[in-house]
Amino acid sequence: MVGLSEGEKHFIRGGIAQDLRTDGRRRLQFRAISVETGVIPQANGSARVRLGATEVIATVKDIVQIEVDPAAAAEINAKLTVAVQIEVVVVMRGDDDGEETRKRQRWGEERGCGDDGRGRDEPCGRLSWGNQAFFILIKGKFPFLLIVAQLQHPCLRVEVLKNFLLSSVLHCKDAYSVVKVGQVCWDLYIDGLVVSSDGNLLDALAGAIKVALSDTGIPKVNVSLSATTDEEPEVDVSDEEFLQFDTSSVPVIVTLTKVGKHYIVDATSEEESQMSSAVSVSVNRHGQICGLTKRGGAGLDPSVIFDMISVAKHVSRQFISVLDSEILAAEAAG
Amino acid sequence: MEYVNPLTGFRVDGRRPNEMRQLKGEVGVVARADGSALFEMGNTRVIAAVYGPREVQNKGQQVNSKDALVRCEYRMADFSTGDRRRKPKGDRRSTEISLVIRQTMEASILTHLMPRSQIDIFVQVLQADGGTRAACINAATLALADAGIPMRDIVTSCSAGYLCSTPLLDLNYIEDSAGGPDVTVGFLTKMDKVTLLQMDAKLPMDTFETVMDLAIEGCKAIANYIREVLLENTRRLECQRG
Amino acid sequence: MRDLQLSLNQTQRVRLEAALHELQTVAPAAAVTVADTIPVNDEDNILKGHGTSDQDGEVVATLCGVVERVNKLVYVRTLRARYKPEVGDIIVGRVIEIAPKRWRLEINFSQDAVLMLSSMNLPDGIQRRRTAVDELNMRTIFEENDVICAEVRGFQHDGSLHLQARSQKYGKLERGQLLVVPAYLVKRRKQHFHHLEQYDVDLILGCNGFIWVGEHVVVGENANMMENKLNLSAEVENFTPLETRKHICRLANAVRVLSALGFTLTVELIIETAEASVSSNIEINNMLGAEFYVQTAEREVKRRADLLRKKSGAR
Repeated sequence: MVGLSEGEKHFIRGGIAQDLRTDGRRRLQFRAISVETGVIPQANGSARVRLGATEVIATVKDIVQIEVDPAAAAEINAKLTVAVQIEVVVVMRGDDDGEETRKRQRWGEERGCGDDGRGRDEPCGRLSWGNQAFFILIKGKFPFLLIVAQLQHPCLRVEVLKNFLLSSVLHCKDAYSVVKVGQVCWDLYIDGLVVSSDGNLLDALAGAIKVALSDTGIPKVNVSLSATTDEEPEVDVSDEEFLQFDTSSVPVIVTLTKVGKHYIVDATSEEESQMSSAVSVSVNRHGQICGLTKRGGAGLDPSVIFDMISVAKHVSRQFISVLDSEILAAEAAG
Repeated sequence: MEYVNPLTGFRVDGRRPNEMRQLKGEVGVVARADGSALFEMGNTRVIAAVYGPREVQNKGQQVNSKDALVRCEYRMADFSTGDRRRKPKGDRRSTEISLVIRQTMEASILTHLMPRSQIDIFVQVLQADGGTRAACINAATLALADAGIPMRDIVTSCSAGYLCSTPLLDLNYIEDSAGGPDVTVGFLTKMDKVTLLQMDAKLPMDTFETVMDLAIEGCKAIANYIREVLLENTRRLECQRG
Repeated sequence: MRDLQLSLNQTQRVRLEAALHELQTVAPAAAVTVADTIPVNDEDNILKGHGTSDQDGEVVATLCGVVERVNKLVYVRTLRARYKPEVGDIIVGRVIEIAPKRWRLEINFSQDAVLMLSSMNLPDGIQRRRTAVDELNMRTIFEENDVICAEVRGFQHDGSLHLQARSQKYGKLERGQLLVVPAYLVKRRKQHFHHLEQYDVDLILGCNGFIWVGEHVVVGENANMMENKLNLSAEVENFTPLETRKHICRLANAVRVLSALGFTLTVELIIETAEASVSSNIEINNMLGAEFYVQTAEREVKRRADLLRKKSGAR
């Protein structure tokens, strides 16, 4: 990401203060949202969401998991286990200039490809991107969902994203059920890929995951009981019939970025560079808060946080309605 | 398993032995890149993005100041293959393919016209169904042409194999994992030169020549298609410019 | 379209296709792709210019673009390539690095451009030799990430580009926004600095595709520059007034829409697009929406058709 001069930063701050941002939006307006489903035919469900120049693809793949064995069950019902792997992210973020390579030391190691073709683990800074990618593996309480997200954002920390996606997406208890030992269940893998980043990745990703889940068809499974209990049950995975998720209660994430004395919604990366702090709130259709996180260096007064939550609730209604209408349109089409 | 039906001569997906999968190429898919392309060969879908020529980021890497530095990175998305792969650390295959693509493209780019600069090629596989290497090279060619980087010739690539005593063009994943030979050819069409040749498993010499010729035919067909896509794109941009 | 990823509904898509199709019929182009043979008469005196190479006696294109012939010179003009500098071009760049006695700027070229300390006016305006103290105080003139307007002075023997910013109209640009468009959309004209009086806005069309839209700054007042610095730190009350800001945003959005459509950027076209948005009562942020996009395309097609008719009518 290119840096900004003092004059440009001043201009951006002025725009936010005067309720007229650089592209003419008001403070609480989203950029043009465009949603497409079924972009990756090989996955069970996929969606591409564009918020202005930010573009993310989310896919859902499922694997039949036969028999939840006791060991797995213990892990599943236990606390969250998080494995973090830091990786160089997706191709598209290639416009790092000199500034980024200077910054890279701050963000820790990257992986690169040497000229001789050998992969290295030490910071070689070759094909390096100033910003890091976070590859997060989350096994939650519900054995269904394994969320893996590849992202890149200088301000996002691993724990933020983990807590966030987990609490927000998994919050809808009615969509899933707890699995007992010995049951046969589906293991869902959700992948997020950032194609192009121009700020506000969390909102885009959460929206993409919601739409991808709605697009997912879980094949109907017929389990035939075998005579002896020792053998594995025969599982017949149907190719024709699919179950659809009801994603109307899946929450979305609205990120409010505080610049100066005002909050803005759907910040571009230029505006995000000016932020003092940001609060991401996950809200569902009923207006309930499913998750909340704050990033940024500045401290916030609690009253400010309550105010931001209520603004986020208000803004999320519009966002959810846009996503829902896109989901319906996609279902109607195909 | 019968990869080629002895009665009808059709393959697993209904193609004839010398028939290629459906091609689709699109230019300009990544807004921020200097050049970008999306290339599909059947179910294999690949995005390539090119940044450059721009200032060299890491002066230590610049060996020859008279030529441009070409770098390439190949990545597969986690959802790209049928069963979701967990990438092991230091994925050897990715680094090998990155090197292969870089060498292939470097042979074609006129690097002496852009001294002291670097060109970055990034290829991301969105969906893998066999022939990813070939699709990546084709996508990289499209992206480089879109970025306005001077090249000697259009580099195209295609794979071919030999199963059930028949040379097969453009293997998909099922045929690729059958364990038979898999020949990947990178070809400069106008100059009629081979720039990349890779094979695994073993083949008798005369069969090898047949298979390689078949792959070269495939490369020529892809080159015609790529030429049309680029021509159409250039015409459109010029007309819109006014 | 590249930059604005819009979802058009069916009617909008149809209208857009129709407009673009009409453009294609207006002027067919002699396009070539890589490794195409360029048809030349076999006169021996053809000069092979940029984008061509000699293979087996034939002239072969090495780039995708349009073939241009000027007398005996044949060359290929690319469209979406990086900026190709020429001496005397006015460009807008961003400072990447401060090196001994020079600034390095990023200007959408294959290398970074260099602005020497000696090619820059000192703040006090006196013409004198640059001392070591001046070198240490380079940051007071330009810092990292500053946006600067300068002119191409020439190329060095190793191919790097040198700039100069000696005149009063060049220098740091503040209080505005910088837009990046493909370099081929900005044609070389006599005037690149435009002061739009009706809006009180400065519009600078850099030949390298960097376009600056900002508040009008009165040219040639060093004292003003110093004042501005203090004011920036004092801030709040010193934001750009809302009216000017609206005009700046409208012009910036007009540039964004036009560059997404691939139309050549001229001042007249930008102003016309901005005014059309005012007259159609389109909100500033809706200028980046699908409806205005299609309308702009249709308007431009009509304008070009009219121009062509006038030209052929005049003949």
